[in-house]
Amino acid sequence: MMRKLLVVDDEIEICEFLKSFFEDRDFKVVTASSGEKALDQVAQFQPDVVLLDIQMPGMDGLQALKKIKESNARTKVIMVTAVETQEKIEEAMRLGADNYITKPLSLEYLEKDVQDKIELLSQGMQQNSSPR
Amino acid sequence: MPTPQRLESLNRGKFDYQEVLRDVARSMVRLKRPDRLLKLITRFIDRQFGLTHTSLLVFDTKRNRYVFVNSKGARRFPVGLIKMDVNHPLIQWFSDSRKKQSMPKDFLFLSDVKKMLSRAEFRMASDSRGDQLTGIQKAMKNLNAELIIPGYFKDTLVGVLILGKRVNGRCFTKQEVIFFQTLAHDCSMAVKTAEYNQNLVEQNRELERRLEEIEGLRRKEQRTYYEIMRSLAEEVHAKEPCIFGHVSEVEKLGLMTAREMGIDLSGRTKDILSAALILHDVGKIGIPDNILFKPGQLTMEEWNIMKSHVEKGARILEPLTDFKRVREIIMAHHERFDGTGYPRGLKGEEIPIEARIICVVDSFHAIVSTRCYRDGRSIESAVQEIRNCSGTQFDAVVVDAFLRALRKGLHKKGAVPDVLGDYAGR
Repeated sequence: MMRKLLVVDDEIEICEFLKSFFEDRDFKVVTASSGEKALDQVAQFQPDVVLLDIQMPGMDGLQALKKIKESNARTKVIMVTAVETQEKIEEAMRLGADNYITKPLSLEYLEKDVQDKIELLSQGMQQNSSPR
Repeated sequence: MPTPQRLESLNRGKFDYQEVLRDVARSMVRLKRPDRLLKLITRFIDRQFGLTHTSLLVFDTKRNRYVFVNSKGARRFPVGLIKMDVNHPLIQWFSDSRKKQSMPKDFLFLSDVKKMLSRAEFRMASDSRGDQLTGIQKAMKNLNAELIIPGYFKDTLVGVLILGKRVNGRCFTKQEVIFFQTLAHDCSMAVKTAEYNQNLVEQNRELERRLEEIEGLRRKEQRTYYEIMRSLAEEVHAKEPCIFGHVSEVEKLGLMTAREMGIDLSGRTKDILSAALILHDVGKIGIPDNILFKPGQLTMEEWNIMKSHVEKGARILEPLTDFKRVREIIMAHHERFDGTGYPRGLKGEEIPIEARIICVVDSFHAIVSTRCYRDGRSIESAVQEIRNCSGTQFDAVVVDAFLRALRKGLHKKGAVPDVLGDYAGR
């Protein structure tokens, strides 16, 4: 099954770049430019992993994170943001973020982290389907 | 500046390598902020060579990492999104090769990395060079990089020029690679020059800030010292009862006299005169009480000790460097206009004007005050004596001004003696 990734960032350039980067690595990728649109995409597209910016007009990334975790607890959410205050990091972790990556980021690290999250998901699925 | 325009026009048509390089070198010297030059170079390469992307990674000295500052082309990177740490295999490849000179390479093709990896010596698992090359290959694929050109300043890797494939699939020529190297070198120079300039500006600002801080502390210290001196001076005056009762009355009278003389008392002039009026007898703190308060005549020896209060005062005020003039005034406040005073026997205009004022005010003050060796005399008799000594002990101009000031001062108190009444207006 193809792995599904949602990229949420109000900068179109970033969305487009990460979309083609992960498409080259056999991901199915959709993008969203705001918190509200991200929630719609999560509902429709059911991504495995979400790359979520924090500072966006309208609903910000932390609010979106909370809602995503409420509706799709299984979905892994990686915060990808230029905000690096301890307060925001702690809040994101409290709301259930699976990682917090600050921009500028290392592409190698981002790629590895997304792969790790996919790995975790597939392990979880195997565990669920195996008899107890 | 012709250069950016030339690069602009070159962006649209054919170009001559030499011409472009000369232009870049020239504008590099002129540009204080290199951002514009870097941007122009990136765009120039992008348009001229038709690459999937042209990107520039520059070292951020403050955060100790390399960040993409410019990117052009269909597969460009969003500026500010991607960084490379100093221990990134690609960064290390170029910084190490420069230091150790083991593999002096000023460029790196993806095909070269592949070739090296296929060689047995690099395939061995224990070879860290192999790991490094694998990391580089991965990074170059991540960045869609075909050719990488490092930019150095001295031996420091300042930045890296990352070029994607040609859209038309053609390879880069040797001449083109040399051209890119020269541009990368020029970019590094521009970045470093700007950095040095910026550092100098910042260091300068820091120095100025510190100097201001020191100056502030110094002023505060001077102020504190001044306050201590003022208390000392008041202590001296407190021992000697007088009709004005307080040192600030002497100060007021002295300032009024100066104003009557038409001296501009704004700012420092007033501060200096005020300080001198208040502190002129501070040296008396160093005179033994048995001499200071001796009833009757002083012996010659005692008188000499008494006179030393002038130098003592000047010495006490030495740390008050902001008030150097005050010391000169205090040194001269017992000089007489006719040159028969002490300690130096200065004459007329040689005596600072402030000292001439203090001389009159202080004498008046002494005459009307009750001292241990005699009772205070009336204002009338004091005025008479001051007038008698005008032109000999005192400067006549100062005496005239003083008497006008005294009259105004007493008028406010409703006690103008006759002797001043007929003096008024003259």
